[in-house]
Amino acid sequence: MLITINGSPRQVDPSRSPTLLAALRDQLGLTGPKLGCDHGECGACTVRLDGDLVYACLTLTAACENAQVQTVEGLAEGNTLAPLQQAFITHDAAQCGYCTPGQLLAAAALLERNPHPTDAEIRTAMSGNLCRCGTYPKIINAIRAVSDAGTAAP
Amino acid sequence: MSRERTRFVQTTVEVEGRTETRVVEVPAFEPAPWTADTPLSIVGTSPLRVDAFEKVTGRARYTADIVRPGMLYAVIVRAPRAKGTLTAIDLETARSLPGVRAVMGIGDAPAGTRLFKREVSYAGQPLAAVCAESLDTAERAARVIAASLVIEAAPHAVTVDDAIAPDAPQVRKAGNTTEPDIVQRGDVARGLAEAEVTITREYRTQVALHSALETHGAVCEWNDDQLTVWESTQGIFRVRSDVAKALGLPQAKVRVIKDYMGGGFGAKNGAGAHTYTAALFARTLGAPVRCVNDRRAEQTDSGNRPATVQKVTIAARKDGTLTALVLDARIPLGISGWEGGPAQIFHEMYACPNVRTSETCVYINASGMQAFRGPGYVEGAFALEGAMNALARALQMDPVVLRLKNLATRDERADREFSGNRLDECYAEGMRRFSWHSPVSRLPSPVSRLKRGYGVAAQTWPTGGGPPSYAHVRINSDGSVDVLAGTQDLGTGSRTILAQIAAEALGARFDTVRAVIGDTERLPYTGNSWGSMTTPSVGPAVRMAAEDAKMQLLEAAAQMMGLPLVVLSTRDSHIVSTDGASLSFGDLCRQLGNIQIVGRGSRGPNPELAVVTVGAQFAEVEVDAETGVVRVVRVVAVHDAGRIINPALAESQLHGGIIQGIGYALFEERHIDRARGVTLNANLHDYMIPTMADIPAIDASFLDGADPAANHVGARGIAEPPIIPTAPAIAAAVADALGVEVCALPLTPWRVLGALAE
Repeated sequence: MLITINGSPRQVDPSRSPTLLAALRDQLGLTGPKLGCDHGECGACTVRLDGDLVYACLTLTAACENAQVQTVEGLAEGNTLAPLQQAFITHDAAQCGYCTPGQLLAAAALLERNPHPTDAEIRTAMSGNLCRCGTYPKIINAIRAVSDAGTAAP
Repeated sequence: MSRERTRFVQTTVEVEGRTETRVVEVPAFEPAPWTADTPLSIVGTSPLRVDAFEKVTGRARYTADIVRPGMLYAVIVRAPRAKGTLTAIDLETARSLPGVRAVMGIGDAPAGTRLFKREVSYAGQPLAAVCAESLDTAERAARVIAASLVIEAAPHAVTVDDAIAPDAPQVRKAGNTTEPDIVQRGDVARGLAEAEVTITREYRTQVALHSALETHGAVCEWNDDQLTVWESTQGIFRVRSDVAKALGLPQAKVRVIKDYMGGGFGAKNGAGAHTYTAALFARTLGAPVRCVNDRRAEQTDSGNRPATVQKVTIAARKDGTLTALVLDARIPLGISGWEGGPAQIFHEMYACPNVRTSETCVYINASGMQAFRGPGYVEGAFALEGAMNALARALQMDPVVLRLKNLATRDERADREFSGNRLDECYAEGMRRFSWHSPVSRLPSPVSRLKRGYGVAAQTWPTGGGPPSYAHVRINSDGSVDVLAGTQDLGTGSRTILAQIAAEALGARFDTVRAVIGDTERLPYTGNSWGSMTTPSVGPAVRMAAEDAKMQLLEAAAQMMGLPLVVLSTRDSHIVSTDGASLSFGDLCRQLGNIQIVGRGSRGPNPELAVVTVGAQFAEVEVDAETGVVRVVRVVAVHDAGRIINPALAESQLHGGIIQGIGYALFEERHIDRARGVTLNANLHDYMIPTMADIPAIDASFLDGADPAANHVGARGIAEPPIIPTAPAIAAAVADALGVEVCALPLTPWRVLGALAE
């Protein structure tokens, strides 16, 4: 079956990878989405499915036929980073970096939906993505910087 | 810099609160220390994290991202109960499943790995393992084996009380408790007799789980008799020696690589069951094998911060002068572990002539402890700082004034001076930033169910680091620079700060310097990244290597430029002379051609001084007196760690420690079912770590300055200190809000309501 991954249609065999996370990582070599808990508890595997945020570890591959999936690998164009990625670098919003791909996609979805979120809205929207290093204050700063800059595409 | 013959001396090194005496080399030369007044242009600034691009693009490769051609997948089968004897296990059904390549069980692993024993002594203990062509197949086969296990159950003990009861089941053959470890100075009986106020409390802290988002894991691959291990670890050389020893290999045959890792926090300091399982299957099957813990295994059997029961007596005169500190602690370590206990901070934090601590470790039928960020001191600080705050209330004193009155001006435990200790300034700066008002003079909270409270607590932690640590600085033929050191970056930023130190010492532009770390085969030895040791241990070795390389560059330049050495110096990747002549590193190195300049550095012995990082934290909370819910409103933290190499990265470390401290204070707690001995919340839903919605406003900073007496870079460690005072500061604020102390962690609603009800 076909799934459009970061803009390109890709062949995926759902029988080999029941979850979207396994399909992305094992069949397509996209290791940006991470396995943290395998139970939809940590958010490290967060990707966007037809624009919505989903936990790829809980998403069935078979349910993604002809869908549009975006992973962290699809945020930059070549080596040109998206404003959110640049802001994460500028604000030191990644310590170990393991949760960062999921944080970035959650932040991108938030800013698309709500370009000028309040602090409280950021905290609520991002609370499904755990960071054990405690980078949260700097992730908030990075999101706020992109929001304040009013950049059209987060 | 005069060069002299290397010789060997003894030095003391403090690792995770334990003092070790080691024989070390004296380096050939040591550069003059960078003092607070030394003008530095790269160290002390905040260039962006050098590996941030890889992290924000998803290109950073973690252990579970490593794919090798023909790689197989291993899964470990774990004991479903806490104690007993394995009497039956069926490996053959699993072995015959399509896609399964091998299984291992009792007796199939070398004794050195301690894997797959018949006697079960905790739930989660590895009993067997399976290796298959896909992870799914391996997991399915593991379930088949798990279903076949027959364990003849025996009585177990998973709490201190159960393990020390008169009829307690035997947890370890040598006994369920260790002999009490008693450390004292002065005369506690006299100190208690002299006291005008005496406070006694029992504090209890919980088991906390490291919960790194990346679980423990390894990929192992053999090439003939040479083993390569990719491991998520805080200590590549420790993994190498562990694996070599367990499998009976020379260290030269084992290579350990760690590129990126998803957090460690103390749990990833050596090889584990996953490493040995992957290595053994890979050898048997002649194919690379990946073995990565699933979340349940991670939360069950990858280490923890042990619980404590601490009885504290604190005694003082009416003016607040401490006369005695007494601690009697019991620490349930699990089935194994070492003493990282709560006592040491009682000997170090305050000036007090009479101190007596007793620690008894208790073995229980649960997975063994591992160091967890600030081990011992975090637990000890909750009790010591709680008792100090109780004493302040009893004396009607401002808790900051009480602390300043008893400030340690020297290390009374080891009877030596501090290299530097500006805790008094941390209090002053913290009070200013927090707008601290003494509770004695503060107006009472308005009558409302939402109660505001304010609290303070402090910390000390040995952060001197020490030898052995080696580094090379290699100047390439275009003048660019490689820093080579066998250390590891856990997410702390060591790649970045080591490059900063090298660039500074060498006089090179920061963007021309790259730090290469994380490979035992190609890099000089450094120790584990634990005990807040990396910066003060590896930093000076890197600086010395860069200074050595600079000397060689200058000697070459003096010849090329026809100038005397004394008129030359380096700046901005150029050799410059006092008369204005200039030659870039690139031009110089191109003329040198393939002559390679390699500077060598090593970490010298420690001074005969106590090297500590100290700090004070202030917390404001809002407690709902009807529901018992505690919300942390803000935290102000001010710490003194000598020179800060990169303020932005250092601030991130403070945030991390404080946020983990908030989790420890409010909701993190492993629950073991007493009847079956299994962990009930071995996941990230029921074991709650802080989310973005839980964090308060945090104002975290370091004092400016440097500690040239600690080492010639002037920097001490920073990773562990910030978690130490957070929970006691929050507990103090809760006590201030409610007028009732909660002496057990975490401060869950039921504990808060329970304390209110009493």
